[in-house]
Amino acid sequence: MTVIDGLNKRFKADFFKQTAIAPLIMFRIVFGAMLLFSSLRQIMKGWVETQYIEPQFFFGFLGFEWVKPLPGNLMYIPFIIMAISALFIMLGLFYRLSAFLFFICFTYIELIDKSNYLNHYYFISLMSFLMMLLPAHRDFSIDAKLFPSIRRKETATWHIGILKFQLAAVYIFAGLSKLSADWLFEAQPLKTWLQAHHTLPYVGSILQEEITAYFFSWMGCIYDLLIVFFLMYKRTRPIAYIGVIVFHVLTWLLFPIGVFPWVMIFSTTIFFGVNFHQHILNGLKRVFKWTENIPETIKNSSVPSSIIKFGIIIYITIQILIPIRFLAYPGDLFWNEEGYRFSWRVMLMHKEGLATFYVTDKESGRTIEVNNTDYLTVRQEDQMMTQPDMILQFAKMLKKEFEGRTFSNAEQSITLHDPAVHAEVFVSLNGRTSQLFIDRKHDLTALPYNLKHRDWIEPFKK
Amino acid sequence: MFKRAIGFVLIMSFGLLFSCKDKVGSEDERADFNKGAMLENVSTNIIIPSLVQFETQVSALKSSFDLFKSDPTNANLEEIKMNWESSYLTWQTLKIFDFGPIRNIGFKSATGTYPVDVSKIESNISSGSFNLAAATNFDAVGLNALDYLLYNSNALLELQSDVSYLDYTDEVIRKIYNETQTVVNAWSSYETIFNASIGTSSTSAFSEFVNEYNRDYELAKTAKIGIPIGKANLGLSNPEYVEARYSGISFELLIESIKALKATYNGNGLINGSNGLGFSDYLLNLERTDLDNTINDKFDNVLNDAEGFSMTLEEAINNPAMESQLDELYLNLQQQVVNIKTDMTAAFGVLITYQDNDGD
Repeated sequence: MTVIDGLNKRFKADFFKQTAIAPLIMFRIVFGAMLLFSSLRQIMKGWVETQYIEPQFFFGFLGFEWVKPLPGNLMYIPFIIMAISALFIMLGLFYRLSAFLFFICFTYIELIDKSNYLNHYYFISLMSFLMMLLPAHRDFSIDAKLFPSIRRKETATWHIGILKFQLAAVYIFAGLSKLSADWLFEAQPLKTWLQAHHTLPYVGSILQEEITAYFFSWMGCIYDLLIVFFLMYKRTRPIAYIGVIVFHVLTWLLFPIGVFPWVMIFSTTIFFGVNFHQHILNGLKRVFKWTENIPETIKNSSVPSSIIKFGIIIYITIQILIPIRFLAYPGDLFWNEEGYRFSWRVMLMHKEGLATFYVTDKESGRTIEVNNTDYLTVRQEDQMMTQPDMILQFAKMLKKEFEGRTFSNAEQSITLHDPAVHAEVFVSLNGRTSQLFIDRKHDLTALPYNLKHRDWIEPFKK
Repeated sequence: MFKRAIGFVLIMSFGLLFSCKDKVGSEDERADFNKGAMLENVSTNIIIPSLVQFETQVSALKSSFDLFKSDPTNANLEEIKMNWESSYLTWQTLKIFDFGPIRNIGFKSATGTYPVDVSKIESNISSGSFNLAAATNFDAVGLNALDYLLYNSNALLELQSDVSYLDYTDEVIRKIYNETQTVVNAWSSYETIFNASIGTSSTSAFSEFVNEYNRDYELAKTAKIGIPIGKANLGLSNPEYVEARYSGISFELLIESIKALKATYNGNGLINGSNGLGFSDYLLNLERTDLDNTINDKFDNVLNDAEGFSMTLEEAINNPAMESQLDELYLNLQQQVVNIKTDMTAAFGVLITYQDNDGD
């Protein structure tokens, strides 16, 4: 009893202690601005069209296959809602509703097709989920102007702590995943990626040196593992933040990873001290002639509730368990990709595949060689060819597609009934010569699509 | 003492020289390869000579057709056919480079689409109203439309007696001629852009070249052999999909196409006999000699197989005794894909899509 009581007290003290709300307010503004930029960027780049309107087939996530895109140009609607709600998050207008809408739209879009999966999209989904639950509109927001009673000067520690936890999880798991033989002892895939830049002026010749790839690999690993700790302590913080900027700007320059570097550069400001945020916030308030017309006496009514307590514990537990779920699977993680996604494995491998699918008429044994791009976009095909779950999904889709189709020439005609679908897949991992990934002997349509270990993947040979 | 010191220094320097030599040597080797130099070699010694030769041959095709119009004899038709065939063979190199000016005007689809839709051609001729630039007419124009127009069994008679047929053929030739001029002119200004576009983004000329090279190889595999022998049709053969069906030069075109792909891979110019930097040299620089050998051997296997037919592709397809030989040719064509599309691309670190990527 006493131990639990003690823990409870400790928990209450640490998580529900009141602290200045400024860091949360600043984070809302910065995060909203990034979401706005990222949403507009997706629309401007024409990705709504190429990733959600043009494809004929979508690789749904297991259990979420019911999530489908809206027909045609209606698909722009969630993107527009996203951009507007991101703007509203930044301004703090109808904040909770805006954050909720953003989270729903963004997550909906990401669930449509796993060939678009990126770790930083998953990160944005999680962060917007958290933001929706946090009172980040209780100061310097239009809401606070409209409904002055919501104003607060302080907020519970966990409101900021949970964001720090999420960022720490990203970095630390990314660092742990780099503790692999390929990364540390082969400097792959960086060796491949960096040499491709050998034509850059001044630095090109350095980038194709092997030693550079090793340096980058080791520094990247150390950075990911330790940066959070250096950001947490006031003394090391300035130098650590310079490290954050240098590291992410470098990755932005060398690799096509979109807004991720900027998301991390801006998000990590949450680790800065209260004074820093207070200072900036006060500056902003002066610029916008913000009037503190509320008596300073407003007390924060946030009472430690057990629902919130358990909610936090469950969230943290899930976030720790998901990235280590790969331990439950036998075989090579990079090869089988069982428990690979949602685990902060960023820029960790270079996989190229070639998948040839064969649709077979069981009766005559006659076979069709499928042209994947008749059904998939270039990106979808590229993603599918190295990922077993997508190979399986595509095979099942092909079965439906070919069921009942008639093939003929001048002499004869055959109609397919319940065709088998086989695939011969070769994959090259981290610069190795390609090897057999899926053997043609399996009728993929007969295999289950679930979370169990896929023993039909050929074992990885070093 | 002093002498010994000098001796010591000498030995040390000598040792250093040797110990460095390996390093210097290997660095030199590395520095030898540069994507920019490779692109320059490809444009100077492969693309531009092919374009120039194609332009000459298409001009000759046009002149011979003009001659035929004033003197419609069989001998003059043979002259047209000869020019058509030489143009078509040169096209096998040109079609690899479907980017920049060639893609901008859709030159590859307008010139090289097959099979053509004979009924569409016939209805265009009889209606007399057609827009050959329309995308719907891609399978009624180009070198394969000429294959039908010049080689079908009534060709000479039609060309002599039917003005609409003659005019249509004339239009098809003129279209190829005009578009060739456009591409030749555009390439002269695009060349510098191409040579300098050596980045790693999917829109850099280097990436486009790698991707289009692979696409062309796969197209040769699928369209020249795979589809006609029924690979997409439960093994039920489709002789009507054969390239250049009426002239019967499908195997010659396949062989020329593979030769062009092999030469380009090695950075060699088929026309000027040059030997420069290509994908092969890049792989060697990346210490992938094994892969380079595999690729060159496989090209040779394909060429051997393709040269082993003493008949037209359509005859081979219709002859059940040739089935296994065709299957072997196709298998060799297919087995090369993983070498060039998967292993070579993986070694180069080329990206195939332009969207964000976090490497998983």
